[in-house]
Parts: sequence; C-alpha cells; structure tokens
Amino acid sequence: MNRILIPVSVFLFVIGLYMVGVSQRPWAARSDVEQPIPFSHRVHAGINKIPCQYCHEYARRSANSGVPPVERCVGCHGSALLGGLEPVTRPWTDEKQSPFEIRWNRVYALPDFVRFVHKPHIWAGVQCQECHGPVETMDRVVPVHEINMGFCVDCHTKRGATQECFVCHH
Amino acid sequence: MSDGLSRRSFLKLAATASAAAAIPGCEPAARKLIPYVVPDENVIPGVPTFYTTTCAECSAGCGIVARVMEGRVIKLEGNPVDPISQGAICARGQAALQGLYNPDRLGKPNTRRADGTLTAIHWDDATTLINGKLAAAAKAGQDRVAFIGVSQGPTLDRVTKAWAQAFNSTRVGFWEAFSDEPARAAAEACFGRRDLPIYKLDQAETIISFGADFVETWGSPVEYARQFAQFRAPKSRAGNLSIGHAAYVGPRLNSTAAKCDEWVASNPGAEGAVAMAVLNVVVNQGWVAPGAGVDLAALKTLVAAYDPEKISAQTGVSADQIKRIAGWFGQATEGAVALAGTADMQAHLAAHILNAVTGNVGKTVVFLDETPAQATSRPEQTKAIIDAMRDGQVEVLVIAGGNPAYSMPPAYAFKEASKRVGYVIWMGEVPDESADLADLLIPTHHALETWRDTAPRAGVYGLGQPVMQPVYPSRALHDILIASAHLGAGAAAQAISYENAADAINSSWQELQGKIGGSAAPKQFWNDARRHGGVFQDAKPAAVTLNAAALQSKSEPPAAPAALTLWAFPHIFLYDGRGANKSWLQEIPDPVTQIVWDTWAEVHPDTAAKLGLKQDYEQTRLFAGIDVIEIATPGGPIELTVTISPLIKPGVIAVPFGQGHTSYGRYAKGIGVNPFSFLPEGTRSVSVTARKTDKKYKLVTPLGSSDMLGRTIIEAMSVGDLAKGVEPDFGEEKIDRPYEMYDPIQYAGHKWGMTIDVNSCTGCSACIAACYAENNIQVVGKDNVDLGRIMSWIRVERYIQPAAKAGAGPLILIAPMLCQQCDHAPCEPVCPVFASHHTSEGLNAQIYNRCIGTRFCENNCPYKVRRFNWYAPEFIEPLNYQLNPDVTVRGAGVMEKCTFCVQRITTAEIDARTEDRKMLDGEIIPACAQACPSRAISFGDINDPNSAMMKRRNDNKGRDYTMLPEYNALPAVTYLRDLYQEKGKA
Repeated sequence: MNRILIPVSVFLFVIGLYMVGVSQRPWAARSDVEQPIPFSHRVHAGINKIPCQYCHEYARRSANSGVPPVERCVGCHGSALLGGLEPVTRPWTDEKQSPFEIRWNRVYALPDFVRFVHKPHIWAGVQCQECHGPVETMDRVVPVHEINMGFCVDCHTKRGATQECFVCHH
Repeated sequence: MSDGLSRRSFLKLAATASAAAAIPGCEPAARKLIPYVVPDENVIPGVPTFYTTTCAECSAGCGIVARVMEGRVIKLEGNPVDPISQGAICARGQAALQGLYNPDRLGKPNTRRADGTLTAIHWDDATTLINGKLAAAAKAGQDRVAFIGVSQGPTLDRVTKAWAQAFNSTRVGFWEAFSDEPARAAAEACFGRRDLPIYKLDQAETIISFGADFVETWGSPVEYARQFAQFRAPKSRAGNLSIGHAAYVGPRLNSTAAKCDEWVASNPGAEGAVAMAVLNVVVNQGWVAPGAGVDLAALKTLVAAYDPEKISAQTGVSADQIKRIAGWFGQATEGAVALAGTADMQAHLAAHILNAVTGNVGKTVVFLDETPAQATSRPEQTKAIIDAMRDGQVEVLVIAGGNPAYSMPPAYAFKEASKRVGYVIWMGEVPDESADLADLLIPTHHALETWRDTAPRAGVYGLGQPVMQPVYPSRALHDILIASAHLGAGAAAQAISYENAADAINSSWQELQGKIGGSAAPKQFWNDARRHGGVFQDAKPAAVTLNAAALQSKSEPPAAPAALTLWAFPHIFLYDGRGANKSWLQEIPDPVTQIVWDTWAEVHPDTAAKLGLKQDYEQTRLFAGIDVIEIATPGGPIELTVTISPLIKPGVIAVPFGQGHTSYGRYAKGIGVNPFSFLPEGTRSVSVTARKTDKKYKLVTPLGSSDMLGRTIIEAMSVGDLAKGVEPDFGEEKIDRPYEMYDPIQYAGHKWGMTIDVNSCTGCSACIAACYAENNIQVVGKDNVDLGRIMSWIRVERYIQPAAKAGAGPLILIAPMLCQQCDHAPCEPVCPVFASHHTSEGLNAQIYNRCIGTRFCENNCPYKVRRFNWYAPEFIEPLNYQLNPDVTVRGAGVMEKCTFCVQRITTAEIDARTEDRKMLDGEIIPACAQACPSRAISFGDINDPNSAMMKRRNDNKGRDYTMLPEYNALPAVTYLRDLYQEKGKA
C-alpha cells in the first residue's frame, strides 16, 4: 500500500508547492514582452526628457495611467523636422494590426482581486520609477520590481500609508 | 482586468504547469493595450462619466443618470434635479440595464421562411423589404398600413403618426396592457378634462387607496413612495404627535396595504362600491366641505344605494370599517386624498367625487394647466385596428413594443387577426410572443441607445439621450420609420422635414423653447437640457369644478361575489410581463409572498380548507407551497401552485401578471401562467372553479420563516408611545449589557454607519436591484434559491404578526437586512485566515482573495447576511458589459457580503485626499441608499454628530434600535421603528 501512497503523496506535495509557486505567475510583470513597434523610452524620457505624464496623462486623475493616444505621437512626429510619421508607422511586428492601431503588449498587469489606483500615489509624490524602475534608461521596458503585495506593503510601511486590506481588495 | 483568475483556471493551470512554463504566450487575455487614436476629451479611462436620460421602463417618466465607464453603462441612478424621481430609482428602472445587455436581444434582421423558421438577412435587404411592402400597401389604398406599439414620448409618437400618414394611413395604436383609460374617463366625467391629476400625498392627513398600489406599480411609484414616507413621518398636528392615516381597499394585502394603517379587504371588483360607501358616510355625516358647491340632494341620491350596512355582503367589508376610514377621510383637517387604481371606472369616479366634495381638489389633488396629450391610445382605438386587421383591411402591420400577442385580452383575438394581415413586421429588442407572429423581425435600439423625450406632466419635459454606442448592430426604431417615410409618396411624406430621430427630437425641442420661453441661446438651451436631463418648470394648477352631471350617473351596487374569484394583479417587478426577461427582477423576491421566478396562486387558509388542501400553515407561516390546483377559467384550465396566506380575502385566488411567456428570452420562457390569456376585457377578476390535483410543484422562496419566533427583529411602536417617550415592551426577556472582555474599539477617523427608517421603507426592493448592479452580484436561478444560495447582499425581510398579536400593530413588518458591520462581529474571530476582519473605519472587511471558503463566518453571523459562491459566477455575454470595474467579480468558493459600497468610500477618500480637503458629509452614498425612493436609508459618519445620518438617528432617539441586541454584536446599522396608530383611536 505504502508503495503507492508515498510516491503519490510526494508527487502531490511537489505539485502543490509548484501550484503555490505559479499561482501568481500569469500576473507577474514580465521581462520578455516585445512591443509591436521599436518604441524607446530611453530616447523619449531619457534623452529628450519628456515627462512621464506627458504621455501617461491619466495617472494623476484615474486608476489607469493611460496609454498615449496615437494623436500624442503624431503631435511631435507629425513635424517633418523630427522625422515625420515614419517612426510611428514603421512595419509592425504583428501583421494583423491595422495602421494606427498600436496593440501594445502589457508589461504590468494585476489580478482581478486587486484594485490599484494610480491617482493617490502620484498625489502622494511617489515617483514613477519607484515601482516601474528607471524606465528612462530602457529601450524596451522590462520590469525591475515584481509588483506583488509584499512590494506594495513594504512601501506603504515605509511611508506610513494605509495598510488596510480593503483599500485594494474589494 | 476583465478576467479574473478563477479557481478552475488556477487548477487547470497547475495541471498543465510544465506545459505552461514551456509555452510562451500562455497568458491572460487582457495582455494587450490598445490606445485611442484621438482620445475623447471628456473621457478619462477608469473614471465614470455621467449622462442624464429618461427611464423608459414605465410611463412615469423618471429622469435618470447613467454612469458610463469606458463607453459602457454600468449603473443607472435617479436624476437629482428631476422633479419626479428626485435622485431615486425603482428596481425596474435599475434593471433597464439588463434589457440593454440582454443576451437574447435580436442581433440581426430575420425573415420567416415558409416552414416557420427564421433566417438572418442583411440590413439592406431588410430595409428594401420593409420599404417595398409599405409602398405596395400604401398604393393598394387608404389605411392599409397599421402600427401597434408602446408610446415612446410626444415627439417620437408624432413621428410614428407622420410615418403612417406618409403611407396613407391613420391606423396607429399605442398600447398599454394596464390602461389609464378608466382614470381618464372618470376625470372627464367629473371635471371635463381627460387628464390625470398629480397627487400630493405628503400634504395629506388621510389617504385612502381604492386598489391603487401607489408604492408598487401605480402612477409614479418612486414619487409616491417618497411622498408617502413624508406623509407617514411623525409630525405635530394640532399639538399632538401623529402620523397620517392611510387605508388600502383591495382583495390582497400587498406592500402598499402593508404600509397603511388599515387593509380593507374587499371582494375583487368591489373597490368602487366601497368607495361609494365611504362617500355615503362622508355625505350623510355632513363632512362635505361647505365651499364645495355641490348639489347635496343629487349627491345623496347618488350614494343612496351604498349604505355601508346594506352592501356589506357584496363588498365583503364590515360597515364599521367603512365608517372608520370614512371618518378619517371626512374629518381630516389638513387635507385628504382618495386614489383609485382599479380596472373599472366606478372607483375612479367615486375617488374624484370624494376628493372634490371634501374640498381636496386643488389641495392634495391638483390638475395642471397644459397637461400633455394622452400618450396611450384608448383601448377602443386599438381594438378598431385589430378589427380592421381581422377584416383583411390591413396589408402591413408593424408591431413595436407592448407585446400585444401576450398582453391583449382574448376578446381582441390579436393572434387570429394578425394571420389575416399580409405582412407583419416586428420591431423590438428581445423577440417576444408578438415576434412569433411576424414575417420580418427587425432589431431596434434599446431606449438607452436612442434619442427620446418624455412629457409625464405639465412643466416636466424629460430629454432622453443615448448614453452609449449600441450593444448590438440594431437601429433606432424611428430612424427606420423616418427613412422609409421619406420614400413614401405624397404631401405627407414630403412634410417630414427631419432626417432621423435625433433630428426630430432636436427640432421639436427648438419648438419647445419657443413655447416655454427662456432667454438662453438655442444651443445653450439644448446643452442645458442635455445636462439636466430636460427642462423642469413649475406648472400652474388649473381651477376645476365638479360637473353636476357626474352626480347623475346612476350605478347599481355589485352583485354578491361568486364562491371563488380569480383576481390578477400587476407584479411589482414584472408588471405586465415586460420585466420577465430580466434575471434580477425574476430573482428579487416579491416583497409580500417572497416568491421568486414563478406565478403563484395566493389563497386564504379558509379557501384552502374548502379546496381540501391541508397545509400546516399556522405552524410554519411559510408561503411557498407545493400543492397544485387546477383552476377552470373562461380561457381553459390552468394549473397553479397554491401559497396559503392570511393576507388575502377569503374566496379569492390572487395571481400575479407577468409570467407565462412562451417566448421573450431564456429568463422569461416557460415560467408560470399568463392571466391576460383568460381574463375578460376591462377587468382583473373572473369567477372560477378550482379543484385540487395530485400534482406537486415547488414554489421557491429564500425566506426562512414568516414568524419572528418570539424575537423582535423588526420593531414597531405606536405613535402615542413615541410622543410619551415610552420604550415599547415586546415581552422579551431583558438582557443586561454583558461583561465586556475587551476595551471598546476606538475609531480615530471615520466610523461608517447607517440608519434605516422602517417606517419609511415600503419593501419596494429598489435597494436590492441597485446592489445587484453596483456590486456585480450573480443571479443563481430558481433551483439554487431553493437550496438557500441566493446571492443578494441585501434582502427585504417580511414578517407576519402571529394571530395572537394581531391588532396591536401592523400585520406585516418589512425592513431591509444587510450586513450590520458589527463592532463585535461574530464573523471575524472565526475566520481562520483573517479574510473577515475589522477595518479602522468600522467596516467588516471581507478579503476575497484571502478567503478559503470555510463558511464559518456565515455560520456565525446572527443576521444571515453572508453569501457563499457555490459556483463560478456566470455573466452571459453581453451581460458582463454591465459589471462594475471597481468591484471584484468573486470566484467560486469565496464568501461575500455587503461592504457599504467600499469602492465608493475609497474613491471619495482618494478624491478628498488629492484635493487636500476633508470628506464631506453625503459625499459617499451606498448604492442602496442612493436608489431608495422613500429615502429610508441614510449613510454617514458615526463620529461626526453633524452628519445627516447621525442627525436622523439623534432626532429620532425614541425610535432608534439595533436588531438582535442580545448578541451584543454592536452593529453600525441602526433601525428606526415602524410606527402605527394607537389601537382603538381614529
């Protein structure tokens, strides 16, 4: 009997550990995400020093920081001086996309049971880089921190912010 | 973040763990971010936008505000500036969203093939078909085109008539199953005007309702519930604290009757006779107002045949009771009001005369100048169209709403008549019984997707604007009509100057500005109207006098009732059947019987005994039954399950309207019976015979018991005790505050609390519907309700006083029950994983992702307000569009409960913090309090003595109580006791 039970329970235990390990994985920030166009945060935010919220304009007003509309790209790139529309309309990596519909791939995502709101963090003076890392040095955005609850709570503890579960989980 | 990680997908994921690791791209679907090309200036993703519009669920014409997020309506609220709704909305209004996102809506035009099946066709083919058929019919002669549908407001109704004229026809009928024709006819007979007055219940001292369910379905329930709550609030009258006297006359104790002092149990159809008997007493006691200017002799002759004693056998009401309520009415010094809501005219006539002779017309019953024209056609006009159809005079019939095949009396023989019509076009949302008769089915926009306007009364001009892009590839009904009318021949077609429905509304509102004036530029006027949801002005009251001829109309008292009468009444949520395809309305229990998802036959225990039904009703006092009876009706036998109740007149079988659909979507189809199918025209009762069958069928209710089992859960006290400051004694054992093991919890900042005025609560269940909408609560269906798995976070409790206590207070007690957010919450210490815990602001938090589903908390909750997800929630596309993105969709195996709408609290806190200010009182309103028509629910900060909630609590100290104090759970929710008149005092 034990010949069956022990391997089975060991197997289940390992599977169980693995399940715990992977439980949050689909939501973890991912470093392997390729974007459909070769957009460089280093060039925009680093070299040209465009403020984050110039493009991610909803961060101080909403839960979402917002992905810049194509109009915002054209606002600068529409000028011939800066290379016209060429950088924006360069061949997509995804051929199914229609022109001007940029299907960005998400780097940061949170599970459904977390309600993160950018607005109060911006107003509390949290710098974007504190969570998203030095984006202004990256050509392709890769996560620096794994955005999990421990990460949130660490910062909330340091800053004396609320630690009420209900604030994010409702 | 539209898809959560459910337990099932979690397990699947684990099972394929190695594969998942190896295959790149195994990721949640919402991994793409697609930006706008050009963003909408007014839309911030993640922040709701509010658009005003009007509710189209009934003819009351409430103004509503739609909360739109990322282009989808997620919630409807009342429009605070609208004089009718004043910020509240009923359950049916809330459920309009489920009509908009109904999964059974028609997606494409369909034609019917010879074998009866439907085939989808292209829109272009459909319009060609419509235009071709209409043109051919118009060419064939006059009046070959007919339209039967519901009224869509003054402008669109004009468009419909213009469309018919363009096709050489005048056959346009606007159909409502519950016609206001008797009310209008009575007003014409009494005052010479075919309109409906407005009632000011809040200014009355006495209300007598003759079959008018004014807090449920009659008139504008939202407005009247609010007025009634003010009427019942304790006020100082002639130096004494008192509440208004109210009586309800009718065969069934519904929630309107439950809130009245007296339920006058009359025989079905005898409400008019009771009204005449009340008039008799008023006249003979000399309570006719001196200035009323009526011919007393004529009045005396009119009521001579209605001596309360003599007609007691016919009405089923004792003379004492009639004299008592007539006394309230005649002796009211601050005004009285009689309402009538029956299908026959006599009660309406008597009510008008009662109001007029006691000098209340102009005070509590006000006719307004320039009342809008009657929207719904007279029944005989609609009937004439059907007769023409039967005679083969109609080539093309357009059915647009009203579901005539379901809701017309059998005498109209609508189905047979429609077979004689050359081509039937149905235009609507969810294909119903009328669509089954059609050759062509056209999907139209929901009211929330189109332009419309309303004119519920003089001075109120409601503007309905589309609040989102259409969910389905449908088109606006009037856009189709206008487009086809432009192709019509002749001057009538040329006269149609507008391009589409939006244009028609716009031009008619420009005319409106010309009429009602205002100095604003037209553009400004239009923008203001869109912002406010219309234009609201004070209308001038019209001076009316009672026609002398009205006193000449002789009528005979009714015959003695039949041994057994079937009496049908409009269901509070399903109304005339239009609500049946909305799962919220099916699942919210009827406030009085607490039955869900069904048609029932309500009978008195005496009647049940006569039918040979044995049910131990006294012991359980549970209503849902299992015994099926067969009722022989004029339309053939029907089978219904009996629910035995003392809240019904003996000899009456009460059956709600609304079910019995053979079509109309998955939620409506195949449930119960349709009383329209056998009731004669112009009445809601019919004499029947019934017999017991051996069949069993279970009616389902989430109710545990109708008896409070010796405890006082919902409390009531007499107004006299309130005035004297006497604590009522419920005969319960007094429990001293037990020894406290811990120090009381200190709340440094806010401490959220709620006060619910039981005296104001009418049981209308608007709070439940609002909670379903706001908090993404799943609908579980009839079988699961039976297993006790209903998910609603708030429920309306209904208890019946035991026979021994009857007479001492209200017969039935109604109050909402939700999480009491206790300080000593019994649910908290039993949670092994701290998913249930107390927050610093006094909330009982339930952290869903931490919950492991032990259900200990549910077991330990004395208020039974926690709900367990037995299954993963299912929101069938596109019902999932309605989900509130601020609230987690809970997965299977998770406990959930009322949070005081913590998402609204958090949002308000963030707003206050970012604006660097303190939170304002009233900034946070939970969905239930916001929807409540009678304003029974107040929410606020217990730590702030100036908050409106604490003021209400402190101002009503004598009525303030907590439920089940013996548990010492220290709830943050308190209730204000229901009030009743002192026994034996008029």
